[in-house]
Amino acid sequence: MRKGFPVTEHDHDHDHDRTVKPMVDEITDFEVLEIALRELCIEKGLFTAAEHRLFTEFAEQIGPTPAARLVARAWLDPDFKRLALTDALTASKEVGVDWLEPTGFGTPSDFVAFKILENTPTVHNVIVCALCSCYPRPILGNSPEWYRTPNYRRRIVRWPRQVLSEFGLALPDNVEVRVQDSNQKHRFMVMPLRPRGTDGWTEDQLTEIITRDCLIGVALPTPGVTTNIITKTRPAVRPIAN
Amino acid sequence: MSNAAERAEQLALISRLKATYPEVPEWPMPDQMTHDHFLAYMKNPHDVGGELDVPAAYENKEEEQWELMTYVLCEVLGMRGIWVSEERRRIGNVDVGRAVYLGIPYYTRWLWSVGRMLLEKGYLSWGELTDRLAEVQDRYAGGLAGRLPQAHPKAEGDGSKVKRNAHHLEAAGIGDPQVFAGKADAAKFKAGDRVRVRELPALFYTRTPEYVRGAEGVIAEATYESPAPEDETWDRPDAKPEWFYIVRFKQCELWDAYTGPMIDTLQTEIPERWLEAAR
Repeated sequence: MRKGFPVTEHDHDHDHDRTVKPMVDEITDFEVLEIALRELCIEKGLFTAAEHRLFTEFAEQIGPTPAARLVARAWLDPDFKRLALTDALTASKEVGVDWLEPTGFGTPSDFVAFKILENTPTVHNVIVCALCSCYPRPILGNSPEWYRTPNYRRRIVRWPRQVLSEFGLALPDNVEVRVQDSNQKHRFMVMPLRPRGTDGWTEDQLTEIITRDCLIGVALPTPGVTTNIITKTRPAVRPIAN
Repeated sequence: MSNAAERAEQLALISRLKATYPEVPEWPMPDQMTHDHFLAYMKNPHDVGGELDVPAAYENKEEEQWELMTYVLCEVLGMRGIWVSEERRRIGNVDVGRAVYLGIPYYTRWLWSVGRMLLEKGYLSWGELTDRLAEVQDRYAGGLAGRLPQAHPKAEGDGSKVKRNAHHLEAAGIGDPQVFAGKADAAKFKAGDRVRVRELPALFYTRTPEYVRGAEGVIAEATYESPAPEDETWDRPDAKPEWFYIVRFKQCELWDAYTGPMIDTLQTEIPERWLEAAR
């Protein structure tokens, strides 16, 4: 009756079949639904297999590197920084991201409205979408799971300093914490301040310390730190095929 | 196949899934329903900002193949003019109701929205969907045995007669929201203006969070013109675009007993219909 759902053997303790069945690797309800819908869409001509492949290839190559490079370049080049803060779409192109791709009008869910929020010595920005998970996917890749959780979304808008402290980020009282709730068509990213101890660094070196978490605003770039704050990762049952 | 005991067990499981306030009887009489409770039931479940919660251990998640395929499915349907993403957000984040919203995985709701939309708009019949679900289950009956689940469309359909929105063609090469530029009335507000978020009796869908309604803020920027999400979500190509604004609020005014410094702020984007001049 619970066909397709990979539940463990039910765990109440009445006494029927005590023999241990071998672990059966069953297709999940989710996989069944996705396959059925995709097949029917293609058979009905809603889209072609080639169009599906095209978008899959787009989705597989997005990630946070162009965003980090954009910020590194802005740290090194005041003209580029001005461009990034006034015309983030053009600045994105210079690091290889065209927000019109792959459809010609942007990804349907991310639109073509991108704004970079500048951190200053007196303002620290942090982003959230309290309604769903709006996130600058084309330039930052898919959002981390914690960013999508109701927990982060409920709390960051109301208790930002407490939530930031859980990421190990304590900001002084004379720095304004500015929460950007991105709940319409704009997508936002934070431009952190260049940290001390990076004089003479190249764009590549700087790019390495501008982690995804710094661009969300839950961390600050730090020389020697090239990983995100949250590293614990729940493995997938059947991860994305290579 | 299930037997009577298994059916009873599943019914017992379902009986424990509560979706109502415990202090009010289920299926209340109209006089038992207070205004506040009505608002709570009518609130869009996606609008969680400011709800009470305690710290939790945040973690990442490796993406499942079906999750990537679900994301792609939704986006390709948008790319080909079957829907706009605002239709997905309503169907998958709001129409599901609170129990499903909080109870099933993130991308499962994306999938749910696809099935629901295809049925509602007449692209699929219930029978076609149900038969195909059963067929896919049967293909993998007895387990995957080392196989990866895969889609095998029987043919590629003729897409030339499929009903599609005008938006995916009109916006091509231009972008969304750029395609709406110049189509709204003159902006009512400008940067620096003080505004109040209206308290509209919004039923069914909105993207103006409850936590800013009634609050006063300052226009940080007039951003772009676009139809409001409350129109886009119901596929209304006739909807007139309006101006959107980033509004800045002082946290100490927005929240009762805000615990941080007075200088902290919050910004969010709001369509013009939700704003009025503050005096």
